[in-house]
Amino acid sequence: MDFTLLAAAFSTVMLTPINFIFVFIGITAGIIVGALPGLTATMGCALLIPFTFGLPPIQGLLMLIGIFCGGIYGGSISGILIRTPGTPAAAATLLDGYPLSQKGLAGKAIGIGTVASFVGGTTGAVIMTFLSPQIAKIGLKFGPPEFCSLAIFGLGMIITISGRSILKGIMAAIFGLMITVIGFDPLSGVPRFTFGSQNLLGGVTFIPALIGLFGYAQVFRNIEKITTLPPVESKVEKILPKISEITSNLKTMFKSAVMGTFIGSIPGTGCDVAAFITYGEAKRSSKHPEKFGTGILEGVAAPEAGNNAATGGAMIPMLTLGVPGDAVTAVLLGALTIHGLQPGPMLFRDHLDVIYPIFAGMIMAQFILLIVGLSGARVFAKLITVDRRILTPVIFFLCVVGSYAMRFSFFDVGLSLVIGVIAYFMEYYDYPVSPILLALILGPMAEQNLRRSLIISHGDPSVFFTRPISAAFILLAVAVIISSYYRIKKTAQREQQSALIESGTNHEA
Amino acid sequence: MKKADIGVGIGLIIISTWIFWYASEYSKATIYYYGPNFFPQFLAIAMCICAIILILNAVRGKSLARSDRIHLKGFIRMVIAIAICIGYLFLMQAIGFAMGTSAFLYVLMMFIGQQGQVKRITSSIAVSLIVWAIFRYFLIIPLPTGMFAFTF
Repeated sequence: MDFTLLAAAFSTVMLTPINFIFVFIGITAGIIVGALPGLTATMGCALLIPFTFGLPPIQGLLMLIGIFCGGIYGGSISGILIRTPGTPAAAATLLDGYPLSQKGLAGKAIGIGTVASFVGGTTGAVIMTFLSPQIAKIGLKFGPPEFCSLAIFGLGMIITISGRSILKGIMAAIFGLMITVIGFDPLSGVPRFTFGSQNLLGGVTFIPALIGLFGYAQVFRNIEKITTLPPVESKVEKILPKISEITSNLKTMFKSAVMGTFIGSIPGTGCDVAAFITYGEAKRSSKHPEKFGTGILEGVAAPEAGNNAATGGAMIPMLTLGVPGDAVTAVLLGALTIHGLQPGPMLFRDHLDVIYPIFAGMIMAQFILLIVGLSGARVFAKLITVDRRILTPVIFFLCVVGSYAMRFSFFDVGLSLVIGVIAYFMEYYDYPVSPILLALILGPMAEQNLRRSLIISHGDPSVFFTRPISAAFILLAVAVIISSYYRIKKTAQREQQSALIESGTNHEA
Repeated sequence: MKKADIGVGIGLIIISTWIFWYASEYSKATIYYYGPNFFPQFLAIAMCICAIILILNAVRGKSLARSDRIHLKGFIRMVIAIAICIGYLFLMQAIGFAMGTSAFLYVLMMFIGQQGQVKRITSSIAVSLIVWAIFRYFLIIPLPTGMFAFTF
């Protein structure tokens, strides 16, 4: 950790008003996207990446970081007010947030949620700042076998985001990997699966694919269900929490923040897992666990600190190893490459001028989030009520613009639409789309390093098991796959049992 | 979801077989043993195995129950919306970005049932002009100008 560089980065970020403005815009846009049910932080980042194309890398990335942090925080506003989490990360917050809202304390719940988000986000950002350079140092020792095993580990994480079926998650990932082989082969230069199209020589462009997966697919679902979605009403009173309410929850906030950061740093877990685990831990260690779920501030503080801390945690593997922690960081990883930066250990060797401002920006974003969150909660609450019949066409249009602006190509718009239609059907048939995103990121890394390793070792696959770091990644991947398999199986059994009990009760009635 | 799983499985086996065969052509292109055909063929085999497991699970009655269904009316609405979007892509090239976008937003809002005429007009014009201005003057990214090259 170079403190001189960090101090310089802070002065660059904080004393340059334009940087400050971009973080502010990012945070505000992120909160709006996060607060609107059906629009996730992933979608927000995907849609707003095109607005950073013309910006210098630092400003563009600061804006995207703002969207990420704002999006995760914003999800709690709709969760508290209308019992519909704006993002999956806010699902745990509504357990106590909505009961508080029913008691007429929605403002207080949003207020304490904002402070907890600030504490969590700042803790996560600070840990990220100090831990990332150390991990990157280890990453610098990696050769092709290590990178290949790392990609396998990252792809193994697909299991954890596979939803109800591991098999379908794996199939979605293979589909994503198949997309990555389109275009010039990185080692031999042979064009593959381009069918003579000039547009496909460079491969399927990341942003249009991303917008198809997360933007169009959601728009199509919204249009399909537009007549069945109920109108939304929301009301917020006093927001600023009392000092005593903050201090009495500080311990929970810090504990959840540290836990959330480390949970977020495990690739594949993400902010939603962090929120539920920290909520569970707060309930377990509370003196009055029976009050959880009835509307207590502690039940809002814990998941909000946890999920916002996970934003910093999720950035650690993305920046240091090039393996995204969750879907949003996968989008951020794509954004870095668009700005000419390749995430991974080399970033810490070659681009310290960008890395340290990212650290500083991430910390500064938390302060802006606190100010914007507390002062603008009423406005954001009003935005939730925006007519979906206006909002959906606007998002549709942003998807078109986003997929066009990358290469000014109508081919990309068409490609994006096709991917959107595929993603729309995939979700209906229980094929998760997030593994495709991870595969798009990790596919080229996996293929190049797998082939390089096999060429170096003359086709001997033991090269992946005889090198300690490589073997460790493969062991970790196996451990994660096995534990996730049993977790998903257990959840399915529990669901089956509760369905049986429910059908039995209905039958008796 | 049994029928869907079997259908998807069979479709994927056919596609995987084709990918395997198509990628084998690339092996002639280089001297490497692990050449450009290696990874696609590896993926084709992996997908084929997964598809067979999917079919077997479906035949053994282990398919997941559907959590949601596509509503026919809604689906038709979605298809028409995509058609409107495709029309918009051509219109944008003919009459320019801002004007084409205003028309697209207005038509789509009307199509999905937005009742307020004033709201439709103001929001569609405002959104298209704001985004056009951001791209043109702030990000300096060129957008289609159509026949009205002087402005929008």
